[in-house]
Amino acid sequence: MGGLEKKKYERGAATNYITRNRARKKLQLSLPDFRRLCILKGIYPHEPKHKKKVNKGSTAPRTFYLLKDIKFLLHEPIVNKFREYKVFVRKLRKAYGKSEWGTAERLKDNKPTYKLDHIVKERYPTFVDALRDLDDALSMCFLFSTFPRTGKCHVQTIQLCRRLAVEFQNYVIASRSLRKVFLSIKGIYYQAEVLGQPITWITPYAFAHDHPTDVDYRVMATFTEFYTTLLGFVNFRLYHSLNLLYPPKIDSQAEDELKPAEGKEYAMDSESYLERLSALSASLARAVAPTHEDEVEVDEFPVEGETAELMDAKKKEQEALEKHKKLFEGLRFFLNREVPREPLAFIIRCFGGQVSWDKSLCIGATYDATDPSITHHIIDRPRLDKQVVGRYYLQPQWVFDSVNAKLCLPMADYFPGVLLPPHLSPFVTEKEGDYVPPEKLKLLALQRGENPEEESEEEEEEEEEEEGDNDKEEEEEEDESEKEEEMKLQKMEEQKMEEQKTQSKVLPVKVTAGKVRLEDKQRLEQEQQSEEKRLAIMMMKKREKYLYKKIMFGKKRKIREANKLAEKRKAHDAALKEQKKKNKKARQA
Amino acid sequence: MAAAEEFLAFNPAGPAGPAAASRRRNRGPRNRKKGWKRWGGPEARLGREIGDFLEDVGLQERAAGGLISEQPNEDLFFLDTGSAPKSQPLKKKKPPQKPPRKPLHVDLVLQPLSKVPPPKNICAYQTPHGRKERRRRQFWEKKAEIGEFPRQERRLRARLARGGCGAPQKPPELGRSDPQRPFYDIWGEHNPLDAPLAGQDPWYLQQTKRLRVQRPPRLQAKPSPLPPVEVIGQGGSYNPPFQDHQELLLRALEVETRRRREEEKVERRLKVTEEPPSQEAVLREQLQGLLEEEEEEEERDEERDEEQNPPRKREQPGRKTEKQRRREKEQREKAGARARARLALQRRQGLFRLCSLRRALRLRDAELRRRRLLRDRQRRLRETAPKRLGRLRYEDAGPEVQLSEELPESLRRLRPEGSVLRDRFKSLQRRNMIEPRERAKFRRRYRVKYVEKRSFRAVTL
Repeated sequence: MGGLEKKKYERGAATNYITRNRARKKLQLSLPDFRRLCILKGIYPHEPKHKKKVNKGSTAPRTFYLLKDIKFLLHEPIVNKFREYKVFVRKLRKAYGKSEWGTAERLKDNKPTYKLDHIVKERYPTFVDALRDLDDALSMCFLFSTFPRTGKCHVQTIQLCRRLAVEFQNYVIASRSLRKVFLSIKGIYYQAEVLGQPITWITPYAFAHDHPTDVDYRVMATFTEFYTTLLGFVNFRLYHSLNLLYPPKIDSQAEDELKPAEGKEYAMDSESYLERLSALSASLARAVAPTHEDEVEVDEFPVEGETAELMDAKKKEQEALEKHKKLFEGLRFFLNREVPREPLAFIIRCFGGQVSWDKSLCIGATYDATDPSITHHIIDRPRLDKQVVGRYYLQPQWVFDSVNAKLCLPMADYFPGVLLPPHLSPFVTEKEGDYVPPEKLKLLALQRGENPEEESEEEEEEEEEEEGDNDKEEEEEEDESEKEEEMKLQKMEEQKMEEQKTQSKVLPVKVTAGKVRLEDKQRLEQEQQSEEKRLAIMMMKKREKYLYKKIMFGKKRKIREANKLAEKRKAHDAALKEQKKKNKKARQA
Repeated sequence: MAAAEEFLAFNPAGPAGPAAASRRRNRGPRNRKKGWKRWGGPEARLGREIGDFLEDVGLQERAAGGLISEQPNEDLFFLDTGSAPKSQPLKKKKPPQKPPRKPLHVDLVLQPLSKVPPPKNICAYQTPHGRKERRRRQFWEKKAEIGEFPRQERRLRARLARGGCGAPQKPPELGRSDPQRPFYDIWGEHNPLDAPLAGQDPWYLQQTKRLRVQRPPRLQAKPSPLPPVEVIGQGGSYNPPFQDHQELLLRALEVETRRRREEEKVERRLKVTEEPPSQEAVLREQLQGLLEEEEEEEERDEERDEEQNPPRKREQPGRKTEKQRRREKEQREKAGARARARLALQRRQGLFRLCSLRRALRLRDAELRRRRLLRDRQRRLRETAPKRLGRLRYEDAGPEVQLSEELPESLRRLRPEGSVLRDRFKSLQRRNMIEPRERAKFRRRYRVKYVEKRSFRAVTL
C-alpha cells in the first residue's frame, strides 16, 4: 500500500514550463541577450493553463517558456557568439580604460559576429513558408527604411532595409503582382499576390515621424535584423523566379536614357545606383533576354468534380486579372511636385504605365512636363494656371481608386479642385444586410459594366460646360471619345451578359426533371433547419433566450438602420439635386 | 644607458676633485682666539681690498689688453647695424654637473668578497648538439642541390606560391546588417549553407555533432491566429465615407469615455471623504471620561434591560421515538414504490408517445449543437485575445481617428495620425510574440552630490 509519497510540483505542468529568469540562467545569458535570442529563433512565451500549478503554488504573474523550447535553444551556436561578444566588450572596455589603443584596435578587428542564415533556413524550411511570413518582414523593412539616420538605430540597418525594400518594390513592378492599395490616416496599405500568396504590408507616409517613446527600439531592431535576412533571401529567390539579375541591374537600354552625369547632383557615386533603383522608373535587366514567346494556350484538364460553369468562372477570373494587370498600359503619367512621388510611381509602374516627374524632384525622370505624349498629369493643388492641351489633369486619388476598382474610373470626379468622392477601402467586403454606401454601389455597378447615373452625370457635365471656358472644348471632345469607348465596352459586356443569360437559359431546359426534386429537397432541408432553430430557441434557458433575443434584435436594428441610412442618403441627394437645379434656374434667369 | 647614469660605479676615479677641497676651507678651531682672529681686523680688510683690486686689474688686462679706462672708445664699443648672419648655433648649456654619488651600501655589501674568480661557463661558448646540427645542415645542403627541402621550407614556399603571405587571403566577410551584403539561394539544392556537410554520412555527422538539432514541428505554429497586418477599417481612410467615419468616431468616443470613467473612479477612491471634525466633536473627545455620572446611568439602564429580557435557551432537538422512526421508514418505502410505479407507467406510456420522444431527442440534439457552437466561438475568441505573458496586461492603443474638422480635403494636406512603429509594436504584443513590458526605471546607485566649484560660484550681491 505504502510507496513513496508523491511530491508536489515534480511532475505535470510544473515541470513542463520554466520561468524566464530560470531559462536565462540556464542559458547563461543576460536578459537583453536572451530576449534577442528568443526573437531570432522564433520562440515565444506561453501562458500555462494552470498558472498556480506551474508557479509552484504562487499566483504571481510571471513569464513562462516551455522547457522543451529552452532545451532546444541550448543547441544554438549563436548562444556561444553572444557569450563571446560579452567577453569582447569586457576586454575592449578594459583596453580603453588602460589607454591601450593598439590592443583596442586588434580587438575591434576580431570582433565576434554571427549570421542568421541558418536560422532562416531552420524557421522556414520551404520558400512558401517564408512567403507566408513576409507581411511582418516587409512592414518592418519599409518602416525602418524611412527612419532618420540619427542614431536611434544603426545606420547600416536603415540602409540595408532601404535596399531590400526597393528591391522588393522592383520585383512587384516586374511581376505586376500588386492588387490593392489603401490610403489610410496611418499609412499606406498594399496587397500583392506573390506566387499565389497574398502579402499585405503597410508603409508610413514620408516625413511622418514622431518617435514614440513607449516602443522598445531594441526589440524592434532585433526583429528587423532577422527580417532583413529573411527578405534578402526571399528577394533573391523571387528575382530568380522571374529570370532577373540579383542584385538588380537597371536595364542597359533604360540606363542609356538616363544620363550618367545626371546622378551626381542627387547622390554620391556609391549611392546613386540605389537611388536610381529606388526611383522605380527604369525596368530591370534580365539574366536571359526575354524571348517573345508566342503565347501558347495551356491545355486545360478538367479536374474531377469541376463543372463547366466553374471552369468558365475560373477562366473569366483569369482574364479579369490579366486585364487588371494591364490597367495603365499605354498611359503616360506626369507627377507634379506636390504629389507623393514614391507610392504613385510604384503603383503606376505596377500596372504598366509610364511615369515621370520634375527633374529637380528626384533622380530618374524620363521625360519632361512639356512632353506632348503625356496623357495624365497628376496634380494636387486647387488649380493650375498654365494647362497643356491634350492631357487630363487629375488628383492623385484617381490612381488609387482606379487600381482598387480594377478599371479606369470616369475622370470627371477627380479633376483638380473638385470635391473628391470618398476613398473606399478595398480590404472591406460587405456582408449581407450591411449598409453599403451609394459610392460603393455605384462602383460595383461600374465594375459590372453598367452606367447607372449616366443621366445625372450628363446633367452635371452640362453644368460644367456652361461654367467652363473655351479651352475645355478639347477635353470635352476627348470625353466624348472616351464615352464612345465606354459605350463600346458596355456593349461588349452586355453581349457577354447576354451570353451568360443564354447559357443560364439553356441549362435548366436540360435538367428540368432533376431540378424539381432538388428544390423539394432544399425546401425540406430549410424547413427542417427552421424547425430545429425554433426548437432550439424553445429549449434555451431563460438567460440565454434573453441574450439570443437581444442579439436578434441587434441584427434587425442594424438592418433597419442601414435602410434608414440609405433613405437618408437618398433624401440628402435629392435635396442636393433640387438645390442645384434651383441654382441653375436662378443663374439662367 | 640610463642605468649607467643613475647608478654609481663601485670604484670612482677619485673621492673628490679640487673644487671640493676649496669648498672645505680649513678654518681651524673656533674656540681659540687664533682661529677667529685670522681674517679679521683692519689690516686684513685692507689686504683683501688690495687683493680684489689687483685681481680686477689682472682681469682687465687679460680681457681687454690693458685697463679699460685707458682704452679708446672705438676699441670698447661698436655700432649695431642689424642682425649679422647667424654664425654658429649657441652652445647648449650643459646642465650643472651633479656631484658623483657614492654607491649604495646595499650594493657594496652584495659584492663578492672572494678573491678567487668564478669558474667559466663552457656551455655559454658552445652550441648544444653542434655536431649533429652541422651534419644536418650539410645533409640538407646536399638535398637542396637535388631540389628537396625540409618540411617547413616546403610549406613556406607553397604558401608563397599560393599568393603571398602578407596580403589577406580574401576580403573580410560582410556582416549580417551590412548594406552591401550578398544573398544566395538558401532554399536551392546547392546552397553554401549546406555545402560543407553535403554528401556526408548523416549518422557520422550526427555522432560528431556536426548536424544541427532539428527544429521541433510544434514551433512552426504561430502563437496567435491573428493576421500580421490588420488593415484599418474604412473609417480610417484619408477621405472616408461619412457613415464609416461616424462609426469610427463613435468607437473612439466609447474608448475615450471608458478611459475617463476609470480615471474618475481612481480619483474618487483617492478623494478624502471625511469631513474635518466639528468643534462639538472635538470638545466631546476632550471631555471623554470627565462626565462620569451620565455613563454610570447608561450602564445601569443596560443592566435593567438584560433583567427584563433574559436570553433564550436554545431548543435541543429531542431524540425520535420508536414510533416516529417506524412511520418515517414506512413513508419512505411508500414514496419509493410510488416513484417506481410512476416510472414503469411512464415507460409503458412512452410506447404511445414515440413522436414526442423523438421530438425531445431532436430538441436535445439541437441544444447540444448550439452549445458546441457557443463553445467554439468562445474558444476562438480566447485564441485571438492576447494572452497574459507577464506582469502587465496587454493594453490596446485605441483606434486612430481624425475628427471631422481634421480630415484633409486633399492628399497634400494629410497629416498622418498615429505611428506605424507603435502599430507594429502593439501588433507584436497582440500576437503574443513579445510580452508587454514597462520601460526599466533608471535607478541611481548612489546619491548625486552637488558641489559648487569655487571658480564657477554664482555671485549673489
